[in-house]
Amino acid sequence: MPDITEMFSAPLTFNWTLSYRCNFVCEHCYSRDEECEELPTADLKRIVDVLAEKQVPFINFGGGEPLIRDDLFELAAYATQKGLNVSMNSNGWLLDRAAAERLGAAGFKSVGISIDSIDPLLHDDFRNMPGAWPRAVAALDHLQAVGVRSTMSAVISRINHHAFRDLLDLARAHGVGQVYLHNFKCSGRGFKNRQELDLSPEEWRAFYVEALAVKAQTTDLKISFDDPVIASLPGYEEQGLVKGSSCGKLSLHLRPNGDITPCGFIPLVVGNILKDDFDAIWFDSPVLKAMRAKEATGKCAGCSAFADCLGGCTARAFATTGDFNQPDPHCWK
Amino acid sequence: MPNPRRNPEIIWRIERRRRDEVLRALEAGEDVGDSGTVLLIEKGTMHQLNLVGGMIWERCDGTRDPAQIAAELAVEFAVERGELQADVDEFVKDLTARGWLLDA
Ligand code: SF4
Repeated sequence: MPDITEMFSAPLTFNWTLSYRCNFVCEHCYSRDEECEELPTADLKRIVDVLAEKQVPFINFGGGEPLIRDDLFELAAYATQKGLNVSMNSNGWLLDRAAAERLGAAGFKSVGISIDSIDPLLHDDFRNMPGAWPRAVAALDHLQAVGVRSTMSAVISRINHHAFRDLLDLARAHGVGQVYLHNFKCSGRGFKNRQELDLSPEEWRAFYVEALAVKAQTTDLKISFDDPVIASLPGYEEQGLVKGSSCGKLSLHLRPNGDITPCGFIPLVVGNILKDDFDAIWFDSPVLKAMRAKEATGKCAGCSAFADCLGGCTARAFATTGDFNQPDPHCWK
Repeated sequence: MPNPRRNPEIIWRIERRRRDEVLRALEAGEDVGDSGTVLLIEKGTMHQLNLVGGMIWERCDGTRDPAQIAAELAVEFAVERGELQADVDEFVKDLTARGWLLDA
């Protein structure tokens, strides 16, 4: 495979944290302990200008809770008008009918709502927010009512790995076209709570075998995973745009102050989008280069899956060992 | 033939740095093969267009017909006009069949 930067002059997606503030304190959240200066709207628009000039086609707002910032709509409309495709992930609490209409008017291509369980009490408990579940589900309905494409996200953990089918049914019942079953990252509270929440490698394997079988039989719903370690499963043939983790290759992450990190889960700043030359970061950052050229280390050396898996999730390896090249701790091989 | 127009569902961008490299290589008389210079993303799948394909694609904005596109490319490339026209026609036909181009 040629060098990523030979194919891509910029990432395809910026995952953009406008604010680390959130109205929830979820058990698995990577960002509760993060603090960071936030930029005024004018500077956020300057960032959009850079992204448009670099032809980055997709922005996905995450957080923190994106709707915490009142200027989200204005910023999204500005990005849309510049030709970018804007989406976001939200806990749904602030997404009432009026907000859904404003999201539609701002040009959002899709809006993802996080729902971890079909059991309202379990979801609320996990998110430390009584009443979160009905508001998240209502948010899906508001989006549907105003014609904004909705997606649903669940971080797979000990509370839901056996119940993902129910989540798919919930999505169907509320007009959702795509469900993301995210892999569990050991960052922030996810790291602190990992003993209680994370699955063992064998459990991860069992989950993916089952979930891939369901995906193969499902035609009315798109089911997406973002875990490179599944490339090692026999019969897994899906071709992503790149091998291994897509962070630092197809996507980068923006912090509220404009600092760029490879992804939200890797706390290494590679530059600042308003202060530094973006091409110099994209093409020359030693951190990004190291992530794009991982070396098989430990059990990955000699593993027949390495060419496709590339050691699995780089963020998880880094969080647990401080080394990009170590095997993903979720690996069952 | 009607004016071809890019399907707005397709996300695309010119890989400028790559295109400059390909143009430099071409000027130096090197074989550039099918090196991609335009990136297309269609329903989550990525495709690349080579230099000529990319230049045709850029011009498929619904304002030009294939003859005009070929005439514009003739300024850029020292290739016989009939041959260029055939390339443009084939490209438009192929991409229209895939649904990536629409009739304006
Ligand atoms: S040993 Fe390494 S390369 Fe092999 S499946 Fe595990 S993480 Fe992937």
